[in-house]
Amino acid sequence: MPAAAALDTTIAVVTPENIAFEYQLAGPFRRLPAYLIDVIARWIIMAAVILGMWIVGGMIRMSALQAYMLAATFLLYFVFTNFYGTLMESYFNGKTIGKWACGIRVVGTDGGPIDFRQALLRNLIRIADLAPYVVLNDVNEEIPPIFFLPVGVVGLVTMLCTRRMQRLGDLACGTMVIVDERNWELPVSKIEDPRVAALASYLPADYRFSRSMSRTLAVYVERRQYLTPARRREIARKLTTPLMDQFDFRPDIDPDLLMLALYHRNFLWNEGDDSADLSALNGFSPLAKDQSAEEPPIAAAVSESVTPVSALSPAATTQDAASEPAG
Amino acid sequence: MNVAKILEQRRIQWQELEQLCDAMEMRGRTGRTSKAQHQGAAGVSRFATLYRAACADLALADSYHLPPGTVAYLHRLVARAHSQLYRSNRFDPSVWFDILFYQAPQQIFADPCVRVATLLFFGLFTLSMVLGANDDWFPGFADAVVGNQQLEAMEQMYDQPLFSVDNQTSSLDHYISMSGFYIMHNTGIGLRCFAWGILIIPCLFTLAQNAVILGASFGYMARDGVGGSDNFFHFVTAHGPFELTAIALAAAAGLRIGVGWFSTGGLTRLDSIKRSATRSVPIITASVTLFVLAAFTEGFISPSPLPYLFKAGWAIASSALISFYFVVLGFPRAVADQTLVSEQD
Repeated sequence: MPAAAALDTTIAVVTPENIAFEYQLAGPFRRLPAYLIDVIARWIIMAAVILGMWIVGGMIRMSALQAYMLAATFLLYFVFTNFYGTLMESYFNGKTIGKWACGIRVVGTDGGPIDFRQALLRNLIRIADLAPYVVLNDVNEEIPPIFFLPVGVVGLVTMLCTRRMQRLGDLACGTMVIVDERNWELPVSKIEDPRVAALASYLPADYRFSRSMSRTLAVYVERRQYLTPARRREIARKLTTPLMDQFDFRPDIDPDLLMLALYHRNFLWNEGDDSADLSALNGFSPLAKDQSAEEPPIAAAVSESVTPVSALSPAATTQDAASEPAG
Repeated sequence: MNVAKILEQRRIQWQELEQLCDAMEMRGRTGRTSKAQHQGAAGVSRFATLYRAACADLALADSYHLPPGTVAYLHRLVARAHSQLYRSNRFDPSVWFDILFYQAPQQIFADPCVRVATLLFFGLFTLSMVLGANDDWFPGFADAVVGNQQLEAMEQMYDQPLFSVDNQTSSLDHYISMSGFYIMHNTGIGLRCFAWGILIIPCLFTLAQNAVILGASFGYMARDGVGGSDNFFHFVTAHGPFELTAIALAAAAGLRIGVGWFSTGGLTRLDSIKRSATRSVPIITASVTLFVLAAFTEGFISPSPLPYLFKAGWAIASSALISFYFVVLGFPRAVADQTLVSEQD
């Protein structure tokens, strides 16, 4: 397969272990909600801390403390507005509360973790990313001229223009925001149709599957449950027609079934396991030389016989394993 | 080759790695709740083993003919374990000591951006202070720049003495709480100057605007017959050197990033921005340190009943300290040059 640049938002990273793995980038539509959640969370935390401080101060009842507490309130406000993201990201491995809620994370462009320096830079430069600001008293004369509403066009434009969807702050410190997957299901297809294993036993023993062939088969079987039977045959026919000639198979075999048989042979076949139960075929032979007048039972549409199961439940795993030789 | 069987064997280890990741994602290490072999050194070693195994599986996925769904799963698993193995570094004091006392002065001394920002800030500040102070020659300058209401409010605020015998707590309280506000406000200006630096023009604008407003206010308060001017200078003298230098430095650090857009030194623009941002970190660190020093001065010395002589002495001492820091520590040295060059290029 040619190493074409991916069209989607995955980005490959080479680790010190010399493994190339992929991250999925988080775009503006994941990052904006995360930022808004962060703003709200910041206000809630700040309100809680300040309220707690004043309640404790009220219980102590030292009037001399009041001025210091007012000063501390200002300082807390300052620290929370400017360093919330920095502290969160450097202590929680690239996550803030909003990022955690939206399932995203900040990493370096090399896939490594971010350090305090990067967290500081990217959070301070956020002010420039949120530009331009709309002055609210232009809209309504009543509003005092202290309210500025960030529009965030600068960050949005740079995000759209860069390959890794970075805003200015990310560009300056070499970070990117990636999707942190939390859905851990290993998709494995299992084939229940008993005719598949039988048909697979008719495939020539010396047939070798190329890489692209394996990949195509796997994609087909994973996707096939979303297709109607007619569509499955239409897609499968492209691949199976030359194969039927090659294997000397009858031309009226269901292409979908043949694809499943190929998948079974490639992924589920045990070496030296030739004891497939041929009774499912009802004495039918798919080979062209055995073609007889009888109606081929195999041309019938195969119903929903492939179900992806979650690898996580042990019950499904054992059932999966047990069903293969039986098929 | 039976892929299902391979998956069956490997999946047990992958699940174990997932469990370890689950435990580590919460606290950065496996907790007491997890299994015995996942705790302490044994857990670390087990995690490393499982991670390497998963890496190998991913590398071999192609030759195993693993289905794409499984490969995607492995990519996610390896990425997840990778970000646990290489976690973000927390605050390291020794690195920051090096940045603050070694890199920052050298960088500040050598950086033309610092000169531009300092000249712009202190030049405009002095100019508008002169303009604001002479109401006969330049009538209405301070009013036009700062605004009448603002000036009156300031005058009123400093009208009450810093410290008086009969009413000591209330007026001291007032200045202490106001110093909290000033720290927030002035450091905020500095950080805004820094952030805007990546776009250059807003940075220069913010810096100039603040220089003019501050200068005009200072000039206005220095006029004869303005109420509270003694208290004002009593209040601002001690922390002035730290705070004003810090604002100029923050803008300089911002400009350093912004200059990276066009002064690329042969790099691509993005790499140049990244490099200039790295170079700006020591400057902004020095600026933040100065802001912190200014904050302590502003909180404890400026509003205190100490005599003006002490506060003026403090201002002179802090100016001397800043000069020492910038010039003596920052003077280019042969050894320092080599490390700086190797670090920057």
